Amino acid sequence: MFTPGSKYLIAITGLSAVSFALYMLLVHPSALGAVALIGLVAATSLITGVALFTRDGHTPEGQTSAATVDTPTPSMWPLIAAAGLSLVLVGTVTTPIVFILGIVAILAALVEWTVQAWSESASGDRSYNEGIRERILNPVEYPILAAVGIAVIIFSFSRVMLAISKDAGAIIFIVAAAVISLVGLLISVRPQLKKSIVSAIAVVAAIGLVGAGIASMGFGMREDLVVAAEEDHYSHQECGAEKSDHFDKGVSETISATSGADATIELLDGKLTAQVQGIEGLQDSITVRRSNPSNIIFRNKDAGEFRLKAYLGKKQIADGVSEDLITCTQLISEGAEQWLTLTINKPSVSGEPYTLSIPGLEGQSIVVVVP
Amino acid sequence: MNHIESTSDAVPQVHMLGRVMRRLKPMVLGAAGTVFLASCASNAPQDTWVPKGPNAQKIDSLQKPVFAVAGIIGVIVAVVVTYSVIKFRDRGQPIPKQSHGNPALEITLTIIPALILAVVGVFTFRTVFDLNKTSDTQMIINVTGQQWWWEYDYPANNEYGITQPIITSGQLVIPVGTKVMLRQTSRDVIHSYWIPALNGKRDAVPGRITINRLEADEPGIYAGQCTEFCGLSHANMRMEAVALSKEDFAKWVSNQLKTYAAPAENTLAKEGETVFLNQCTRCHQVNGLTRADGTPVIAAPDENVWSGAAPNLSHLMSRNTFAGAMFNLVTPECRTDVWKSESLTFGAKYLAGVDEPCLNQTDLRGWLRNAPAMKPMYANPALLAATGGKYRGMPNLGLSESDIEKLVAYLLTLK
Ligand code: HEC
Ligand SMILES: [Cu+2]
Repeated sequence: MFTPGSKYLIAITGLSAVSFALYMLLVHPSALGAVALIGLVAATSLITGVALFTRDGHTPEGQTSAATVDTPTPSMWPLIAAAGLSLVLVGTVTTPIVFILGIVAILAALVEWTVQAWSESASGDRSYNEGIRERILNPVEYPILAAVGIAVIIFSFSRVMLAISKDAGAIIFIVAAAVISLVGLLISVRPQLKKSIVSAIAVVAAIGLVGAGIASMGFGMREDLVVAAEEDHYSHQECGAEKSDHFDKGVSETISATSGADATIELLDGKLTAQVQGIEGLQDSITVRRSNPSNIIFRNKDAGEFRLKAYLGKKQIADGVSEDLITCTQLISEGAEQWLTLTINKPSVSGEPYTLSIPGLEGQSIVVVVP
Repeated sequence: MNHIESTSDAVPQVHMLGRVMRRLKPMVLGAAGTVFLASCASNAPQDTWVPKGPNAQKIDSLQKPVFAVAGIIGVIVAVVVTYSVIKFRDRGQPIPKQSHGNPALEITLTIIPALILAVVGVFTFRTVFDLNKTSDTQMIINVTGQQWWWEYDYPANNEYGITQPIITSGQLVIPVGTKVMLRQTSRDVIHSYWIPALNGKRDAVPGRITINRLEADEPGIYAGQCTEFCGLSHANMRMEAVALSKEDFAKWVSNQLKTYAAPAENTLAKEGETVFLNQCTRCHQVNGLTRADGTPVIAAPDENVWSGAAPNLSHLMSRNTFAGAMFNLVTPECRTDVWKSESLTFGAKYLAGVDEPCLNQTDLRGWLRNAPAMKPMYANPALLAATGGKYRGMPNLGLSESDIEKLVAYLLTLK
């Protein structure tokens, strides 16, 4: 009944169940640990079940036919699929990136494993089978591996470039390019060079580059980039009429939503108007809710670049000192549209009215009422 | 030999079947009786089969025929299955002749349901598009859901005399025979607005505006409740639509626009105003309320409540429910008086608002004494790490009985 293998597996299952119980009772349990251990219990009991069910794959003498004698070639894909599955489990309780890596591993393993298994039963000739496996999968494997390789190179190299000063960057760029050209030249003029030497050079270069990338990440970005990121001057709004150096870079000019906006503000023939679904005609005021992000669409239908600017009252920053609450879109060109999100925490009962206007365009504004 | 054995087996089987049937009978009868009685409930304000306005009527005109068709098919299937199970049960007879496929029959049995579904589909699409029409809207109201109550604000609308935006909660007041469009959204999680007598459900989704149309034929109160699970007190998130005749609606509007009247000096209500200023205005807005130095009081619910809002109490006593329409602000007798009145007298009774004899002292005092005890909310100051110290709901403020006395006197002036 119990073959030696299944006894061994039963013992592992028992042990993992005991360790799960001990962990839950004695150690302060965390979700991650509990998932890992219960996963172990589930996996080992599954394997044990299979082993018991198939009697360890042990078949009595004389029941084996010739066709099944040929064992499949060893494969790493079951291992990768299992690793992927564990990553998916761990990912559900940790971070999404782990989950995604797991999914990628499982998908890759599924495809590779399926094709491999299929190719192995194509004929009785191993090398022929291997050949058709490669014919099918290499056109997929090579581009993917190449893309991953390029991504790793670019990422590592860019980390290095971000860490060192601008001048050092220029020098390293020149030196690196020169070295690559020289090595390439060397290899091409000496075609009899051993394959192993060429791969050794490539491996050393790759390790060096990735190592430098990791080291640079530890070192961090160079001073001026750190300052720029802290000041956040790429997203720091500049709401004037003129084009700003940073904020108006990479302008978004289309939106994909077709419904769900609180209002649509349009600039046409030098006039600013508001449209609200359900209210007929063009409005000169809109009512938005207090303490809630209200999304409005700004559409520029005039020649030239314009932005929509919102004045949303004042905020007291110290006794007697207050600051205007302003937000705005980027400068957008004719025919373009962009979202503006208004979050207004105080009703518009007192003080100056809240308004939407176009910097540089006098006498046009939409009043924003906040009950 | 074999044959004899199985017939002798069949006898106890029949006996057992009979016994099971006998035992099941009272259960089946009981269940059927309950369903029957439930369908006759006299007090079922959220009955989905009693439309009280054109939008709900459209849904009803669709669902009744569909229900009939589905019901007839369901009964036919049930009868045929039951008949076959009993008639052809295993009595030890030999296995009958097996047939594999009957193209004519199979094609017929595919085409008939497909045709039925196509017809249902056409009418469903028509109704869906009808219900989404916005071009003939006569009035818009912004509806905002948050844990666990609804806020309504009425943008200025000259046609209805709304010169200033009106803001209220719990009870949505609308004029009869008017195509009202709700522009819905949420301040925290997804909620869903549903007044069964007036229309179907429509989700209120943070960051988006969804529309929902209501129109009531007759004055009256139409009950509803949030139908998208939204956390701890989802079950306690209700709402009511109150339809008033056009004249009564105009009166309601002018009352909502009335400016704030501070209580007279040296009254209990005036002392209540002071307590209110100290305890309540960090969350609740009362329009027109000023501090001793004359500066207007602007509440800061965004700093204290997770959703960023608390009900505006300027005209609390003009509604007759509170806290997500969960509790009556009026005593049961007064409530019955309003709910059960004829549609002609309903408006006047509703507009009378809440005065001292009608005030539901028990629930309002209970609320001020310890709100989370009446309606589960995340209001334990020690457990607010996840929301950065902000409450979800109204906390227990530990007020003294004399403060509560003063507050009730003050709240009664907010009409
Ligand atoms: C921390 C914020 C906060 C404070 C302080 C606060 N409340 Fe509330 N109150 C709320 C919230 C949130 C609700 C809505 C609860 C619900 O319905 O789920 C509410 C609901 C109410 C309601 C029901 C209103 C309606 O229309 O449904 C009344 C009445 C009320 N509060 C009175 C008071 C009084 C009086 C005080 C001062 C003693 C006070 N509240 C202090 C947050 C607060
Ligand atoms: Cu809800």
